[in-house]
Amino acid sequence: MSLFQLFKAELGAVFTNIALLLTLFGGVLFYSVLYPLPYVTQVPREQQVVVVNLDDSQFARRLVRMVDATAQVQIHSQASSLAQAEERMIEKKLAGILVVPENFYRDLLLGRRPSLAFAGDASYFLVFGTVLEGMSAAGTTLAAEIKVTQSLLSGQALALAQAQHHAINLGLHALFNETQGYVNYVIPAVFVLILHQTLIMGMGILGGSENEQQKEGKTVHWQTASPAALLLARTLIFIIIYTLLSLYYYGPAYAYYDIPRLAAMGDLALLNLVFLLPVSFLGICLGAVLPRRELATLIVLLSSMPLVFACGFVWPISAIPGPINTLMQLIPAVPAIKAFILLNQMGADFRQIFPQVLHLTILTAGYGLSAFLLLTRRMNRFAL
Amino acid sequence: MEKRASEWRLLVEDPWLVSLVTWLPPLLFVMIYAIFSQGMARNLPVGVVDLDHSTLSRALMRYYDASPTIALARNYPDALAGMTAMRGGEIYGLLIIPADAEKNALLGCPPSIEAFYNSQFLLIGRQVKTALLQAHATALAKIETLKHLGSQAPVMGQALARAVPVATQATPLFNSSTNYTQFLVSAAIPALWQIFIVMTTVLSMATELRRDGLADWLKDRPVRGLVEKLTPYGLLFWLHGIMFLVTMVFVLGWPLHGSLVFLIFCQLITVMACQCAGALIFFLSRDAARGLGFAAAYCAPGLAFMGVTFPSTDMTVLARVWRSLMPISHYMDIQIAQANYGAAQVLSLPQVGYLLLFILPGLAACILGARISRTPSGSGAAV
Repeated sequence: MSLFQLFKAELGAVFTNIALLLTLFGGVLFYSVLYPLPYVTQVPREQQVVVVNLDDSQFARRLVRMVDATAQVQIHSQASSLAQAEERMIEKKLAGILVVPENFYRDLLLGRRPSLAFAGDASYFLVFGTVLEGMSAAGTTLAAEIKVTQSLLSGQALALAQAQHHAINLGLHALFNETQGYVNYVIPAVFVLILHQTLIMGMGILGGSENEQQKEGKTVHWQTASPAALLLARTLIFIIIYTLLSLYYYGPAYAYYDIPRLAAMGDLALLNLVFLLPVSFLGICLGAVLPRRELATLIVLLSSMPLVFACGFVWPISAIPGPINTLMQLIPAVPAIKAFILLNQMGADFRQIFPQVLHLTILTAGYGLSAFLLLTRRMNRFAL
Repeated sequence: MEKRASEWRLLVEDPWLVSLVTWLPPLLFVMIYAIFSQGMARNLPVGVVDLDHSTLSRALMRYYDASPTIALARNYPDALAGMTAMRGGEIYGLLIIPADAEKNALLGCPPSIEAFYNSQFLLIGRQVKTALLQAHATALAKIETLKHLGSQAPVMGQALARAVPVATQATPLFNSSTNYTQFLVSAAIPALWQIFIVMTTVLSMATELRRDGLADWLKDRPVRGLVEKLTPYGLLFWLHGIMFLVTMVFVLGWPLHGSLVFLIFCQLITVMACQCAGALIFFLSRDAARGLGFAAAYCAPGLAFMGVTFPSTDMTVLARVWRSLMPISHYMDIQIAQANYGAAQVLSLPQVGYLLLFILPGLAACILGARISRTPSGSGAAV
């Protein structure tokens, strides 16, 4: 069988396998809508909070209004006691409780440093952080106002008092994801993972289908081809398909969700190629080993969640136990996700992702060799 | 009784199914736990560009470095070098202390330290940001208290009150140590559990395809055939759920303020709800590979839609609809209400109601099954 004939036969095998086509095109398109869906509002806003105002001075009421004015917090209602507030918080699923202590204003005037208490529901981290942010913004503003007033009272000029209320200022800036949006955080990593997982699934389904056919005693089209030619033809077809799918992801899909695309076209294409190679080979290995076609989907799906958590974008690598981390290095998605984020979201230079590119190249060699050996073995077994 | 015995035998004969209902779920649960077991990130690398080289800048750097979350790992000669390192992902944050910071501070013209944190890695970035804010507030309070002690307010308490007139105290409720392990793992494991249940339901029914076809399995009594098929798996997965809950409460010591019995009961209806959904998916596809593909599309993003990492109140209507189609979102609401809030069980009744609604896909599966059972033997198997 010539290489061209093999290529044509392979194309036929891919485009007549409905389960495979559904996974490749259906999966990639469907997931590109489904995964960003919960996060499209990007940032949680106006979390509802109940207030317990035990002071009820005019000053305390102003503070409550200031908290209400922040983008993060909205005052749901006032409660007369802490117990009542807690009850209402659980019943109405509110985000937290703000307590203005008794004699807040008096203690403030006496220089006794009263404390404002925020209690938030920490079972939801993002909500807790958001409420805290809003409340401390209001608290800090209030503290600054008080300091300025105190300085004025002790005889400083207003301009000076305003400038000097802190000895040293801290300007905090979010870098790369300035709005701290959730889509911008999750999607660049998850999209790489989707490409990775569906590609392996597709290869696995193809290989598994052939194993099923072989078991039933049917002839498979590549029985007269060499394993190397088969490896080449199959990888080429999938890389072409996935380059097109990647174009959709890194192009219109990113543009639609307004995700930064800082990488130069050539760099991104090169990285994509280096990424697709080991993934294809890994998929061929799985396909050669698995007796049934649905098992690839099973394995890939079950591995997704540990992969997301262990690849370093949710949780720092340094905090992940060593053995798990070592094991994860065998999966191409792990270095690839890091490389894509650095290159495309953070604007790193191609030289800076060299360690990841090298890592992917080593995986390519390893999985390529394994795929070749496994295909050879399968073919020999078939010949017997 | 004879039929049920054969269902167990079918399960035991397939090593993949055996793995799915025995060792694989606990193994992955433990792995998820292990990943987050440290609970808090420590010593995240942060870079410094010190353009001042003064006593003040060195004192500030010591204060920042004292924070357990961050570690001032590297010094850079200028902002450009620091930014390049940020882009390369070598450091999660960068501090720039301007030239003449000390001189300006003494002259009463407050210098401004610029701090950058990597918000592309949102969770990590937030931790760096909080650590920087806290470390800076501590440093400021110390410096200003000393200043006031020297001049206007000779008593420590007064000097502190002048430096920080209003104290703020944040109390995290229901997860008192703001522990990431508890926060993420207690949600991720149920999400994974749902994936296991739905996938295994589809796979277990697909074994019939490989035997004598669906019609043979469902002939005469389709509903009974279905129930007998699903019961052993349901019981095993319920056992996994109970194991997870018991480990969470009694081994890890995470809070459970509500009723364990009620939660375990809710787990049972969650398992059944997932099985109903899985059965419907199978009958709609009638093929193992396509069925698993649909199941993957359905429940793979379970954690994202659960509303734990990103609040469900801020989701769009469409997202909330998809969320409510997954049993595990309702279970998670109950688990949080029971375990964390210790809320009255009455408050969880709506969620229990939603879970019971999953009888509808179950009924749909029965109807589809009944239709297959009426077709002549053999033709029910999809090719």
